[in-house]
Amino acid sequence: MTAERAPLGDDLIAELSGLLGDRLSLSAAVREQHGRDESYHHPQPPDAVAFVESTDEVVAVVKACAARRVPVIPFGTGTSLEGHVAAVRGGVCIDVTRMDKVLAVNAEDLDVVVQPGVTRKALNEHLRDTGLFFPVDPGANASLGGMVATRASGTNAVRYGTMADVVLSLEVVVADGRVIRTARRARKSAAGYDLTHLFVGSEGTLGVVTEITLKVFGIPEAILAAVVSFPDLDGAVNAVIETIQLGVPIARIELLDEVQMDACNRYSGLDYPVQPTLFLEFHGSEAGVKEQVATVEALCEGHGGGHFQWSTRPEDRTKLWQARHDAAYAAMGLQPGTKPMATDVCVPISRLAECILETKKDIVASGLIAPIVGHVGDGNFHLVLLVDPDDPDDIARAHALNDRMVMRALAMEGTCTGEHGVGLGKMDFLTAEHGEALGLMRAIKRALDPDDIMNPGKIVRV
Amino acid sequence: MDSTRFNPGNAEQVLAVLQWAAGEGATLELVGGGAKRAWGRPVQAEYTLDLAGLSGINLYEPAELVMTLKPGTPMAEVQATLAAQRQRLAFDPPDLGPLLGVDAGGGTIGGAVLTNLAGPGRPRQGAARDHLLGFKGVSGRGEAFKSGGRVVKNVTGFDLSKLMAGSFGTLAALTELSLRVLPIPEKTRTVLLFGAPAADGARAMAAALGSPHDVDAAAFLPAGVAARSAVDYVSGAGESVTALRVEGPGPSVAARCAALRGLLASFGAVEELHTARSETLWRELRDVAPFTGGDGEFADRRQVWRLSTAPSAGPALGQELAEDFDGEWYADWGGGLVWLAIPPRDDAAHHPVRAALAEAGGGHATLMRADAPVRAAVPVFQPQAPALAALGQRVKAGFDPKGILNPGRMDT
Ligand SMILES: Cc1cc2nc3c(=O)[nH]c(=O)nc-3n(C[C@H](O)[C@H](O)[C@H](O)COP(=O)(O)OP(=O)(O)OC[C@H]3O[C@@H](n4cnc5c(N)ncnc54)[C@H](O)[C@@H]3O)c2cc1C
Repeated sequence: MTAERAPLGDDLIAELSGLLGDRLSLSAAVREQHGRDESYHHPQPPDAVAFVESTDEVVAVVKACAARRVPVIPFGTGTSLEGHVAAVRGGVCIDVTRMDKVLAVNAEDLDVVVQPGVTRKALNEHLRDTGLFFPVDPGANASLGGMVATRASGTNAVRYGTMADVVLSLEVVVADGRVIRTARRARKSAAGYDLTHLFVGSEGTLGVVTEITLKVFGIPEAILAAVVSFPDLDGAVNAVIETIQLGVPIARIELLDEVQMDACNRYSGLDYPVQPTLFLEFHGSEAGVKEQVATVEALCEGHGGGHFQWSTRPEDRTKLWQARHDAAYAAMGLQPGTKPMATDVCVPISRLAECILETKKDIVASGLIAPIVGHVGDGNFHLVLLVDPDDPDDIARAHALNDRMVMRALAMEGTCTGEHGVGLGKMDFLTAEHGEALGLMRAIKRALDPDDIMNPGKIVRV
Repeated sequence: MDSTRFNPGNAEQVLAVLQWAAGEGATLELVGGGAKRAWGRPVQAEYTLDLAGLSGINLYEPAELVMTLKPGTPMAEVQATLAAQRQRLAFDPPDLGPLLGVDAGGGTIGGAVLTNLAGPGRPRQGAARDHLLGFKGVSGRGEAFKSGGRVVKNVTGFDLSKLMAGSFGTLAALTELSLRVLPIPEKTRTVLLFGAPAADGARAMAAALGSPHDVDAAAFLPAGVAARSAVDYVSGAGESVTALRVEGPGPSVAARCAALRGLLASFGAVEELHTARSETLWRELRDVAPFTGGDGEFADRRQVWRLSTAPSAGPALGQELAEDFDGEWYADWGGGLVWLAIPPRDDAAHHPVRAALAEAGGGHATLMRADAPVRAAVPVFQPQAPALAALGQRVKAGFDPKGILNPGRMDT
């Protein structure tokens, strides 16, 4: 794609500076920081960064840019992994991190209203004394706006769902600067198309999310976490599959292979066996949890799973899950100087063991270091391919490995990305996966953003 | 043979019809079983595209927890096939046939998804939309396409499955769909709370749904509605009934019910229903049985509204409107769904109903049952804010630029 980049006009800069004062930044360092994410993708900085503080300011920035057909790139915490925030055609980055207020907590309706810059951890901090919590937890402490935009999920999806399941309603500034509200606090939108979910996962290509109503949950009466290791990957994966097939309402069931366990032990100062391992968590009433545990223990035992190491104290649980969340950073520690290329296939649960074991052979053949971690209860797993972004051979081998894995997943009626999204990195796979549907996605993009100014060059080429 | 009716038997024939219609700008009414034709605005189309011929289950491996099937497959067949493997559709689609004036058991899976149905388990299990993993279809452009697949997580671009569910056939003709299915829980029980006024019922439902006892459905029946239940404990109550459903393996269900009874004791007397009675009660509530009674000239012909609002606001809203219009009401989804039946009026009381809804904090009011002339004159669906409606029209134009599919069906 030819990246046409005209410098920002002085009149636009003057208009935005007049509006935002020193909250409009043209500094190279700030721009650089806003053109990169946490992955191997090369940074592509925007021409300016607008640190907005209200929906009105977002409207003003979008209108000013729309009038001149200048690209607008929404930005949360920049933790996405596929070049989502790269300003491929320059333009103005709208950084929403200062829109960081929790606007309402409706405990009896189990919902909250937040601004997009609130991070998932900040929301849970805010909810601490209410008996409620918000479950979706990608490895990074991402912004909720960014999580809406990438339709993120985390370790809790088996029981609580993904962002698609917890977003009730949105306020969005669309490409022409109009503000729309997709639903009120009603649980169900029976009026018109489901536009809420059209924006969930749209990666900033259809509008800027400025307010979010989210479902929250009562903190369970009992929470038990455990770690259990297996002699082989096969056993671990099959224990997961059977747990899901039985409909056990387990909260978390995460796989880490022996390479990842080694990395976690070193990074987080732990001493778990260096074997394929499941991290588990059970939520519910005392009775419910007891029963889930008995079922899952029996299943794991049937597949050679060793004894469960329990963490009942909250601080031990936090440590356990922090180690899981830090898995990507731990992996990077295996080969300092590298960046992660995170793969993200998802397959039907019955094909999971086959898909992971075949992939494991490919890793060996590739000669790359690539630990496996996975939200395996959803059929979703990642390789953290460690690559030197400046070494074309590394990148080529990693792409080849990923290509094979994606094609395998598609042949199993799976997908190339279960949670990280498309960004720049997965656009080519969309053709293989969707074919004709891309035409419709393009039609939607054109209909909602005729001048292609909202995060252009992502998801679909217009 | 009716020359204005197409009866394709496979996806290729659907594609051929839609290619022709898109070329000619010929308008089509899409029907599956036809069970829900009386829902929504009456469609004015030149031709009928009957998709009942696309029927059958393509792929069902119980171990995979996914079923791929054609849209015209009768709901009864889907449910029987799943039940034989002790599985079910987690969104528990209502059978709205009797409410809409046709026989029970006439629905198809495509109809359930296109109208985004959801049963009482919605607070926990979601609606059809949340279980549609992928589909194949033909757009109003006359182009075949597919979206999603057979996996539970997929973030490949715009979520076309979510758009398709609840689109009432105005974006594309479905030719195949993949749905997530779940094991049937071993036991179902319902804890009943007797005699709570509506406001207490709302509080009891909120407390139960927010509790750690995994309550998966919560409903409130005023005394008059409770009295017509087929479940003896409910009809015999002589006062209001608040019902809370708990599902799962036997021992934990028993323990959770006991804990719930403790939680609710301060609200009033409690009782417990076991599996068979539970199933009867929730089926009644799901299928709007309280407002479909009677036969022939004695059939319930009241107009029926479905109000969707914040759960804490629902019961008070239902009570107020029932008093104002000499009607009846009950609430499901923890209070977030209110069914309201009122004596027929030319305007179906749509202004005051929607004003009260707005007053209660907003939501959606859908006129579910009324004669066709009323449905043609009154906004059946909740009118949308202009900016939102404009966006919806642009989405429609992306799929169906000539407006050939179900013209008018979703108009507000
Ligand atoms: C260590 C690590 C672990 C991770 N683990 C997971 C995981 O388990 N699951 C998972 O799903 N992801 C994971 N991710 C990816 C990442 O955290 C998620 O994609 C997250 O949702 C990105 O949020 P963000 O605030 O950083 O968004 P950004 O990176 O700032 O932006 C992401 C995209 O969203 C758009 N956007 C941001 N804010 C808005 C807004 N307000 N309105 C409209 N568009 C907006 C941007 O334009 C961009 O296209 C991980 C990342 C890292 C680094």
